[in-house]
Amino acid sequence: MGVELVFYATVVAYAVATVLFFRYLARPAGGADTRKMGPRVLAVAAVLHAAYVCLASVIANVCPVKSIHFVASIAALLATGLYLAMRRRWNIDALGAFVAPVSLTFVLGSRFVGAADPAVGGGLLAVHVTVNVLGDALFLLASGTAVLYLVEERRLKQKRASSVFGKLPPLDALDLAEHRLLLIGFPLLTLGIITGTAWAHRIETGSPAEMARALFAYATWVLFAAVLVLRALLGWRGRRAAYGTIAGFLFAVAVLVVYLIRGPLGGAGGAT
Amino acid sequence: MIVVVGLSHREAPLEVRERLAVEADGVAGLLRGLLSCPAIREALCVSTCNRIEIYAVGQQDSDEHTRAAVEAVQNALVELAGRNGAEGIVPYLKTHVRRDAVLHLFRVAASLDSLVVGEPQILGQMREALETAKTAGGIGKYLDRATNRALHVAKRVRTETAIGEGQMSIASVAVDLARQIFGELTGRTALLVGAGEMAEGAAKLLVKAGAKLLVVNRSPERARQLALEFGGGSRPWEELATALVDADVVIASTSAKGFVVTRATVGKAMKARRGRSLFFIDIAVPRDIDPAVNDIDNVYLYDIDNLSNLVAESMQGRRAEAERAEELVQHEANAFGTWTETLGVTATIVALRAKVRASLAAEVERTLTGRLKHLADGDRKALETMVDAAVNKLLHTPTTRIKALAADPRGDDLVKAVHHLFDLADTVRDIEAAQANDPPAKEEETSSPDAPATRAPAGASPGASSDAATLADVRERGTFGR
Repeated sequence: MGVELVFYATVVAYAVATVLFFRYLARPAGGADTRKMGPRVLAVAAVLHAAYVCLASVIANVCPVKSIHFVASIAALLATGLYLAMRRRWNIDALGAFVAPVSLTFVLGSRFVGAADPAVGGGLLAVHVTVNVLGDALFLLASGTAVLYLVEERRLKQKRASSVFGKLPPLDALDLAEHRLLLIGFPLLTLGIITGTAWAHRIETGSPAEMARALFAYATWVLFAAVLVLRALLGWRGRRAAYGTIAGFLFAVAVLVVYLIRGPLGGAGGAT
Repeated sequence: MIVVVGLSHREAPLEVRERLAVEADGVAGLLRGLLSCPAIREALCVSTCNRIEIYAVGQQDSDEHTRAAVEAVQNALVELAGRNGAEGIVPYLKTHVRRDAVLHLFRVAASLDSLVVGEPQILGQMREALETAKTAGGIGKYLDRATNRALHVAKRVRTETAIGEGQMSIASVAVDLARQIFGELTGRTALLVGAGEMAEGAAKLLVKAGAKLLVVNRSPERARQLALEFGGGSRPWEELATALVDADVVIASTSAKGFVVTRATVGKAMKARRGRSLFFIDIAVPRDIDPAVNDIDNVYLYDIDNLSNLVAESMQGRRAEAERAEELVQHEANAFGTWTETLGVTATIVALRAKVRASLAAEVERTLTGRLKHLADGDRKALETMVDAAVNKLLHTPTTRIKALAADPRGDDLVKAVHHLFDLADTVRDIEAAQANDPPAKEEETSSPDAPATRAPAGASPGASSDAATLADVRERGTFGR
């Protein structure tokens, strides 16, 4: 009963934070109070979320990182934590309007998608899931900044004034934050690919789900690698990097979707 | 009588307006050309980045002369555009005549027709236009009065309404946009290409925000001078392309006829910059920067219309003040219209008063040199005063009624009757010819908006002072001298 209460409190807190962020962006001027309230409520939601994950894991008697049930939920929690930690330093306050609703969706998703927690064992798999969850959290934030970048860039190119004028982070700050998030997430993704490949090689099921997961995972890695390399070599930044980041994140989500729908037993431990 | 022909941001996009862009020397030449045309007696050209309009006064106040004046001004504008391509200009030209033209002039001066309602620059631009027209010999009695009233109205609007308060300038919006792209501007480089007044304003704000200034100008001396003023560096004009590699914000405001920054130049610069964002602010008309550069990734280009639109949208809350200002302008335009209408009967009134006074004065003079020659100077003065008072009293009602019917179709019959009864036709013609050739009186309103009250009695119509002045002339030529 207590766990249920914490779950619903988490959902309500994320929902309120979402409304506060959107309200701040939608108001034509001012909104300083709403600006402060959004991150505060989101922080409360993150604390409740962490409490829910811990309580639910204890009751289910399973380590969260070994639980498919919590993978997406924990990725969202980590993304929220990262956002709260970096929002001032990287000048990405408005990204909360992306993080809050996505976290809300993932929390609800973890509840209703994937009914049971199959037993996932082995140290290698624990490392694999941990790095991938961390990586997904970073890519979630990176794709959020990429979306904001595209919105802001389009407005500036088309010379449109809007109520969010001056409220979204500067373009360069978004571009830099997105690049940094990819830079941190990419080694984790690489480690996830290596551990996933090793695990897949060990169990050798060769099921279609496993093949699809591996394919999407490699595509994710190639896309993120291309974004980083082209930026370093040819100066591909801004819009092109944003599109690449969003595409990479969609592949990462595809891996997760296959994972959640088919479960690890379709080939326990895909590439991510 | 007065007509205005031209186009503005309301009906013509920037690519049309820039075909009619003309410098101060060009404006003077344009006006001289117009004034050599028999249909035009007076002419004034208001040329800004948002409009080019020519105000002209025809030879006489008739439909035929008004049409001829409109045609002459239209031809002048088409000829002006001819250098850059006159095709398609005519549909954009708007024409106002008589009261509508005066109202338009007042609205323009009061910044009610500006893209950014309430912006202060238009007042200075109107003064410049007036000076240029004076130099070109385009200002006569009518336009002098009209433009000075317009400046007076503009000042009233600024002081009696809050239309100019909390004004966002184009320069400040440009700096806000730069912040939207780069965030903090400390350490960024602002490149000033050319040096217009507005560009310098934007550069000043960027420097204040922490940016370094780099100046590129065709005149190396001017570039050095500006760089010194803002504590920045300067580069020769030939190094503009390399300066683009180092700059983050580029403010262009040269008077070049074509693009000084092309898409190819920016494309090369962006490769060298490895895709770093570049923000162009093009304040020049005609434009300095090829609009196609906005299509390049990470390049943002805002021209004068884009910036003005953003400012205008941010000023939506000023509608109530704008409505108050419109009422004020309308009131002033009506007062001016009344003066214009009485202008047509002024010569008749002047001639009538002069005739009556001359008759009385001649009789008094004869008596003073005959039976009353023993009178002392004091008594003679008293007689002069008595004659003046008698003329005023006698003609007060006829004068008031002639003025009252000035705007009425029956007024013409009345005026003709007066001409016939007092045999005034020749005198009226002489007075009208003298009025047309008279240089305008130095208008004190340019420096003091309340000046009319010091020239004419309080509450007097604008025409009253004119009557008084002309009567004073008649009196000076007068008949009481010994």
